[in-house]
Amino acid sequence: MRRVNQLGRAAAFPLFFAGLLLAWEVSIGLFHVPAYILPRPSEIALSARADYPLLLRYTFITGTETVLGYAVAIVVALPLGLAIAFSGLLRRTVYPTLVSLEMIPKIAFAPIFISWLGFGLLPKVIIVFLVCFFPIVLNAVAGFVSLSEELTRFTRATGAGTWRAFFKVRLPAALPQVFVGFKYAAMNASVGATIAEFIGSDQGLGFYIQIATGNMRPDLAFAAIFLLALLGLSMFGLVTLAERVLIPWDISQRRIRGKN
Amino acid sequence: MPHIDIRNVVKRFETADGGVHAFGPATFTVERGEFVSLVGPSGCGKSTLLLMIAGLLPPSAGEIDVDGRPVLATRTDVGIMFQDNTLVPWRSVRRNIELQLELRGINPKTCRERIDGLLETVGLTDFANRAPFELSGGMQQRAAFCQAMVHDPDTVLLDEPLGKLDAMTRERIRADLQRLWLKTRTTVLLVTHSIEEAVQLSTKVCIITPRPGRLDSVVDIDLPWPRDLTVKRSAAFAGYVSQISDVFHRYGEI
Repeated sequence: MRRVNQLGRAAAFPLFFAGLLLAWEVSIGLFHVPAYILPRPSEIALSARADYPLLLRYTFITGTETVLGYAVAIVVALPLGLAIAFSGLLRRTVYPTLVSLEMIPKIAFAPIFISWLGFGLLPKVIIVFLVCFFPIVLNAVAGFVSLSEELTRFTRATGAGTWRAFFKVRLPAALPQVFVGFKYAAMNASVGATIAEFIGSDQGLGFYIQIATGNMRPDLAFAAIFLLALLGLSMFGLVTLAERVLIPWDISQRRIRGKN
Repeated sequence: MPHIDIRNVVKRFETADGGVHAFGPATFTVERGEFVSLVGPSGCGKSTLLLMIAGLLPPSAGEIDVDGRPVLATRTDVGIMFQDNTLVPWRSVRRNIELQLELRGINPKTCRERIDGLLETVGLTDFANRAPFELSGGMQQRAAFCQAMVHDPDTVLLDEPLGKLDAMTRERIRADLQRLWLKTRTTVLLVTHSIEEAVQLSTKVCIITPRPGRLDSVVDIDLPWPRDLTVKRSAAFAGYVSQISDVFHRYGEI
């Protein structure tokens, strides 16, 4: 009985999603929507299969831009977040600067970078980096400075040195908030890559969507959109997996798994 | 020489509009092995005094000496416990107790027996490997108590550790606390706003006035140990409780 229940729970999402696709499929016929406005999911799947070598190559290109930008953002933002959290000077200078810059839609820089650096990989990686960098650094700062007063005092009263206190208390305590930044950035990384491709590129899924739309082929555009969704989902899934492994004790993980 | 010697201690917090008088002045001593309670209404600064004794907060005026030496920096020979406990969610109960040792650079393996003993005293032996969030509020505070005691501190500072617990749990943990203190005779300073709790557990009660908190008076509690239900029902116990209540009544606090 219990196993059936678990199976049912695991199946809930795929079933619901399949239901949505089915509703889409059926309503196109029901309301006589022409394929050049909105194609059926089955048509999208067929067109995608026909053009799969190119779609696959472009998925790989957009994926590379996304993952590279995201990885560089983590590598730069995490140490910087730490430095800001532990340096009063940086907190008074760099931190307010970052908060001000955060107000700018990062995409606004895309045309400039492309005019400087051309149509290649680098400007896209930079845009993705910019999109991901801010949520990661700001959440890291928030995580590292927000140790409870009780734990701060407790740690001080043990006489532990900075490093020992950091690795045993501060770092693990900050991880849930750090992961908020990781997850938010993972959700937005492919947005940066796609828009950068819209603005100036000759390959990638963003480029593909523009060409397909220009050729009145929304079926192909939707195929690319699904691949983008898949790309974003795998990124988010990987980060969520890392979160579950690294901080299984966090309240968010406990609630999702239905414990407590 | 008294263990802790508090002389004319005052704490002010400087703010933009001039500053707040948070506590003081207070002058009293604590002998080694005493159980001293600081009783007063909320916001009277009794927790501030505890932090100053721990060296976590410098006094604005006056002196605090421990064993004849002035407290100038954070003391590392104390065990502290707060109303919100310092158990971390990523460690089990046992590993939380070990955290106190690890932060001090002590190998927890060398203290296994001591940890087992503490867990047994507070009835947590079967919960050693549970995560804090799997425990009730009362059990969490017991675990936090072990965490505060495991390094055999010179002074134990308890800042309303039972404040968030229900009345029955509080009653039980008070009994545990007393048993442990009678066994170890460690010096304990307890901040509380429960007069009964103070009278039941203490060798002496410091009465702190409403804001700004000053030391009104010190009452020596001369009752037999252990202070079980029989003692709590005695006329002498009631006498101490009403003697202290009268002071707060005079300040219009109760």
